[in-house]
Amino acid sequence: MANDILKVTDLRKTYGDLIVVDGLTFSVKRGEIFGILGPNGAGKTTTLEMIESLRPADSGTIYLNNINVDKKPYAVREIIGIQLQSSNFYDKVTLEEHIEMYAAIYGRKVDVLELLGRVELRDKAKAYVEQLSGGQKQRFSIAVGLVNNPKVLFLDEPTTGLDPQSRRHLWELIQQIRNDGVTVIITTHYMDEAEVLCDRIAIMDEGKIIALDTPPKLIKALLNRGFKKEVEVHQASLEDVFIDLTGKALRE
Amino acid sequence: MNQNVKLQAVLTMAKMFIKRFFRDKVAIFFTFVFPLIFLAVFGGIFGSDSSITFRTSLINNADNEFADQFVQGLKESDLFEINTADSFNKSKQKMGRGEYDVILEIPNDFGELKQGVPSGQIKAYYDESDQQLKQAFSSVMNEILDSINKRYVSLEKPLSLSAQPVQTANLTQFDYLLSGIIGFSIMSMAIFGMANGFPADKKAGYLRRLKATSLRAWQIVAATALYYLVIGLLSVTSIVLVGILAFDFHMRGDWVSFVLFTIISIIAMFGFGLAIGGWAKNENQAAPISQLVAIPMMFLSGVFFPRFLMPEFIQEIAGYLPLSPIIDGLRLIMTESKTIIDVWPQVGIVAIWGVVIYAIAIRIFRWE
Repeated sequence: MANDILKVTDLRKTYGDLIVVDGLTFSVKRGEIFGILGPNGAGKTTTLEMIESLRPADSGTIYLNNINVDKKPYAVREIIGIQLQSSNFYDKVTLEEHIEMYAAIYGRKVDVLELLGRVELRDKAKAYVEQLSGGQKQRFSIAVGLVNNPKVLFLDEPTTGLDPQSRRHLWELIQQIRNDGVTVIITTHYMDEAEVLCDRIAIMDEGKIIALDTPPKLIKALLNRGFKKEVEVHQASLEDVFIDLTGKALRE
Repeated sequence: MNQNVKLQAVLTMAKMFIKRFFRDKVAIFFTFVFPLIFLAVFGGIFGSDSSITFRTSLINNADNEFADQFVQGLKESDLFEINTADSFNKSKQKMGRGEYDVILEIPNDFGELKQGVPSGQIKAYYDESDQQLKQAFSSVMNEILDSINKRYVSLEKPLSLSAQPVQTANLTQFDYLLSGIIGFSIMSMAIFGMANGFPADKKAGYLRRLKATSLRAWQIVAATALYYLVIGLLSVTSIVLVGILAFDFHMRGDWVSFVLFTIISIIAMFGFGLAIGGWAKNENQAAPISQLVAIPMMFLSGVFFPRFLMPEFIQEIAGYLPLSPIIDGLRLIMTESKTIIDVWPQVGIVAIWGVVIYAIAIRIFRWE
């Protein structure tokens, strides 16, 4: 379908006897936020790495923006942005210098302050990455992922370890990026995050996709199967209390 | 993307690496201060020969009391630093390295009575290019012999000196040392700096992030090599400057040959750092291999003492270690006025090592 920016067909990967990715077939629509959920070891990261052309697949095909990832990995790398789980930036190098270096790698002219402004780090342009807080590092990581004006942005557990304020802040940023026309593919452990953020989600387990739909439809399907929550439904959660008491503003 | 853009990226990265280097005080210390401390220590020990002592290798072939007393007199004088020796060739080699100023040979008939007075002719050998020394030494020695002669009163001088030149490279100990220190600092930057720096960068995940861009392996290898080339040249410059200013080093050869040969040496030697560091996943893998490569070179390539003092079979092998032609080439240019063309055998061996090691380095490079 022309509207699909990513098309994965029968993707497989094994390490020795261990089947990590077991015949995945799915597609991602242009301009959506697509979530990949699953317990640890479900094969999420391996799947992402194969799509990002960082790891060869055993079999199956991946087309990203109609480019065969296996045949033209560098063409794919030019149109994707990546944020990795841990901070991967040189110490003793400023944010500004990092952006300039990445821009040079892609051969692009980038308005550094404008880009840093998008992730609200304009005033940190001359700071080193190691001087940033956790939330700031994640936002910077996203800024670097946007240097080449990518068509698809991959986020690997972007809010892990952040406080509630930073998480909500990052969600807004991700939604904004999507509104700018970038397709976002995100992995997460947090169901509330997936529910708020994702247009569609794929739930993975043991290398297979066991469910794929919009969050409301997945919930509805569960309820249709006769599921009932045991506990009474709270009108507010503890996080709501926390946010109400401490405010929504970022603490950095 | 065209090739120009890729080269531009290499330059931008190299520039960033250099900036980053100068923000790292530990790296600055080990790259610049450490070799200079080295220089100060060794330069201080073997250093400049500004005193008026003649460092003399004495070969006494005479076996009589007169000769013994004469030698004793020389030893007690502040003008001479006497080292007794028995092989002329060994002494000559040492004089060639600047350990001695003069070789003094006392013949076996020295001090034998002729017409009632002790007579004989001492031979003094000095470096042919050192005319100043010849004059100074001859006048001092003649005065001593004259004063002895006067005691025996004779019209014809029974004791006299005949000064004869010997061809050596005319090095001071420091000049000899300097080329070794430059070679050593190039090697240590490559093998202890680069080979450990790369795995540390991998461990920190820097390269993992870069791999996800359109950056090619050769670009990061080239950027790193370029960055180290700049730092390496700065380091060598600081060593040579201190050598000139503090230890009165004299460049005998031409600077163009010196700079060219230094650049070739740095690039080739850094191939080893790139190969080890590019291959190793972490410092634990890099460290033992670095030691394995560096230590034999450190001791066998003539950094601190010349190779010709080693057993012959070791000399043969050591000559092909990559650091050996580097130090030999530097020494020939710096102390024997050779040009880059004269040292083509050294350039050749260094270049062969360079080609081989870079081919290996790019092949075994790992991003993580």
